[in-house]
Amino acid sequence: MAVGLALAALFAGAIPVTTGSARATVSPSRAHASRQLKASDTAHLHYTSASGSLLYEEGLASGTIPGSMHVHFNVGATFTGTFTIYTKGGSIKGHGAATPHGSGVYESFAGSLHATGGTGLYVHAHGRAGLYGTFNRNTYGLLVQTTGTLLY
Amino acid sequence: MSKTSPIARWCPLLAAVLLGLILAATALSAPSAKLNAKFIPERLGGRTTLEFAFSFTVPPSELVPPPLTQIELRYPDRLGLGLSGLGLATCAAGTLEVSGPTRCPPNSVMGYGAALTAVVLGTTIVSESAPITMLRTPDQKGHLAVLFSAEGTTPVDTRIVFPGLLLPAPSPFGGQVNVGVPLVPTLPGAPYISVVRLHATIGPRMVTYYEQAGGKTLAYQPLGILLPKGCPRGGFPFAARFHFLGGTVAAARAAIACPRRR
Repeated sequence: MAVGLALAALFAGAIPVTTGSARATVSPSRAHASRQLKASDTAHLHYTSASGSLLYEEGLASGTIPGSMHVHFNVGATFTGTFTIYTKGGSIKGHGAATPHGSGVYESFAGSLHATGGTGLYVHAHGRAGLYGTFNRNTYGLLVQTTGTLLY
Repeated sequence: MSKTSPIARWCPLLAAVLLGLILAATALSAPSAKLNAKFIPERLGGRTTLEFAFSFTVPPSELVPPPLTQIELRYPDRLGLGLSGLGLATCAAGTLEVSGPTRCPPNSVMGYGAALTAVVLGTTIVSESAPITMLRTPDQKGHLAVLFSAEGTTPVDTRIVFPGLLLPAPSPFGGQVNVGVPLVPTLPGAPYISVVRLHATIGPRMVTYYEQAGGKTLAYQPLGILLPKGCPRGGFPFAARFHFLGGTVAAARAAIACPRRR
């Protein structure tokens, strides 16, 4: 049941979930999305490989929707990327964008991510979450926090 | 029936002709721009330093280009500037203006270059080469910012500091650097300084950083810009627009050819 928001962690490569308050309710508004989950997650992602400004990262997400996250993201004037989080009930995939700010070794960013589908329990997953975190410019490690609502 | 006077009938035509003449004169006096770019070294998937240069050619009626007021330089998509390890520290504009780049943290340096400037004094063109240092500075308006410090000695003894902002750009570009160039006065009654050409590098070439390890300060060279493992069709594209005092604009494009397959 708690497998939705860890997706955010996947976006940045290493997202740690800070708080975990899950609440599932029935939503009749969509034919397939019958459950709603409010979640906060954090993920810590580590560098796996890179090509130009594209980074591939993996790591664990904890919080409302714990799981393993895989993230592809582009370190440009804005950070953009796609993620997949693998949970016990299935996977959730989506994309996100964030604006970096600050300077120095740690660069913080803030933006949003969108769940666009998945597998298993989350085959109809959708939703939007706030995306926050820091990027270590030496190690390329990512700390990602997400807070939002997942419908599935 | 209303009767229009001949003057009223001819006014729009005259205005159009005058506007055309003005635009034609502006185009004739506008400089043309040339842009060059190079990766040193150019190894796909490897680290590199970006070298770029631009120059202006003026029509025969002009001695030097008009003073430059703004540069917009677009760089290729997927260029790993953010993964270069450059700009780990920042330098404040005030520090740079008062004390120069030597007082800025070494880890804020992103590259070096030089600009050839010129000013017309009477009928004589006086040229000067001004070294340039590029340094990371705190973000401005939510965008990554770089400071350019240019120092001249003769005939104009001055240090100018101006910012560049890293902004998003449409495909096939990964971003663009917008640089506002200040007008540099010379002698009373004389024109502002003109930029004739400029070359610079962004990357680890000739750049030394420092880190603390085990109570010691260790010098190292930053990794450099990470090139993608693949080369875009047609090479790595660059484009620039140069704005001059008076409103004229010159544009130029360049591409770094894909390396030959071994």
